[in-house]
Amino acid sequence: MRELERLLARINWLGLGTIALAFALWEISLRAGFAQYQNLPTPSAIAIGLVEIMSNGQLLADTSHTLLSVLVGWLAAVAIGVVLGLMLGASPMLRRYSLASIEVLRPMPGIAFAPVALLLFGFSLQMELMVIILPALWPVLIATMGAVMGVHARLFEVGRTFRLSRGEILRKIMLPAALPGVLVGARLSMTLALVLAVVAEMVGNPAGLGYAVVREQQAMRPELVFAYVAAIGALGMILNAALTGAVNLLFPAASGRLREVGA
Amino acid sequence: MTGPTLTTRVAKQLRVVRASLPPARGLLPLILLLGIWQLVQSGPSPYFPAPSQWWTATGNLLNREHLVAAFGATTLTFLKGLALAIVFGTLLGVLIGVSKLAARALDPVLEFMRAIPPPVTVPVAALLIGYNGIMKLTVIVLAALWPILLNTTSAVRQIDPLLIDVARSFRLSTTERIRRIILPAVVPALLIGIRIAIPLAIVITLLVEMLTSLPGVGAIMIRSQRNFQSSEVYALLVLVGLFGFVVNDLFAVIEGVIMRRWPPRR
Repeated sequence: MRELERLLARINWLGLGTIALAFALWEISLRAGFAQYQNLPTPSAIAIGLVEIMSNGQLLADTSHTLLSVLVGWLAAVAIGVVLGLMLGASPMLRRYSLASIEVLRPMPGIAFAPVALLLFGFSLQMELMVIILPALWPVLIATMGAVMGVHARLFEVGRTFRLSRGEILRKIMLPAALPGVLVGARLSMTLALVLAVVAEMVGNPAGLGYAVVREQQAMRPELVFAYVAAIGALGMILNAALTGAVNLLFPAASGRLREVGA
Repeated sequence: MTGPTLTTRVAKQLRVVRASLPPARGLLPLILLLGIWQLVQSGPSPYFPAPSQWWTATGNLLNREHLVAAFGATTLTFLKGLALAIVFGTLLGVLIGVSKLAARALDPVLEFMRAIPPPVTVPVAALLIGYNGIMKLTVIVLAALWPILLNTTSAVRQIDPLLIDVARSFRLSTTERIRRIILPAVVPALLIGIRIAIPLAIVITLLVEMLTSLPGVGAIMIRSQRNFQSSEVYALLVLVGLFGFVVNDLFAVIEGVIMRRWPPRR
């Protein structure tokens, strides 16, 4: 009972009311003809559209394609970013001879890879993954490198005193110290991965939610365009909440640091 | 304004930014890669044309596609969109930061809007507004607005209430209050917001141009790819990369100059 009360108290009624009011005004002004927008559907039409794509399986098919490419691309980006970040963080020599290259490549707008990826892979999943992975690995790489560089030199000395092997130093000192940084980078890169998946689907690979929005726009089904946009927004929120939840569950010590950074 | 003039301050900041860049020998892997590429594949190719081919392709693009004008158009759209996003983001951010009621009322809407990946607003805007300059700007503003708004809001919220009381007891005028208390608190956070917004705004500018073929670099990129002009595609990748690099570094200079005027408070 207490739990329920606390839950009810946490709900932002004012905020929900604002949304409801906005939807009501939107619906009424369109129905009564106060506002005339050729292609603006009413909220009720969008809701019906949402039910339509849910019941005919379109939404599920499109969402699972996008979700799959986001997850695969993101995991690959995190893996590459962590490995390179650990190497660069641990070796000043390596940093000296490659950091400038990274600083040149990093600000490259992710979308610039789309035409090259299309050239190399055509309209395919590989193209989509290339567009996701290349830009999404930088936040992880930079955060991991920074975290390893921030490890106090004395910790390495302690490791050497205890005669830890290189593998043990990596496992017992570097990885735990780098973890919060890795998580912050991974979270940034997750948001980026979703954005880039949608971009890749819009200009390249004709599949998934990004393509669905363009497809329905060209088919002049505005209510379905809005339904898909709502679905993509929901997917973004769910992915973010899932990642935060997983971090809290798996690495409770690091989650405080994550909140502090505000990632 | 007394003291050093703006130009000397900018020059000084340029030097600071240059000093903060990593040593140039770090460019070695990139140069090596391009060199090996040139040796292995020295002619044209549908997939991996030689870097020397990119150079000739740039010449072709300059003549045929009026590349300079396209970069001008893209830069202008990007700057206009960013400027509008800064204005709206700051105003809304201050409003939401000052008023608890507004914050609570708008929070769920903003959370949802923020979760929507900016690219999907392009088809929606195309439906509602059609293919024109206003649509371009709307989409860029919608993408760049959130980081600016959120950073401004949290900065305004963190202003020490004591400072506001002090301002009241000193009977500072509204303009004085904005100049001495609000601006110093907001400007550093605003700059961080803009730094996050810049890459997003560039991506969305190029995407709109790709999807709608409105004049700009994005349209040329997609045209080269559709015509399978592989060396042009690579040349454009390099040019757009340089564009991103220059915009980022220029902003770092501007940021440094402004930060010196309003150093962040501890």
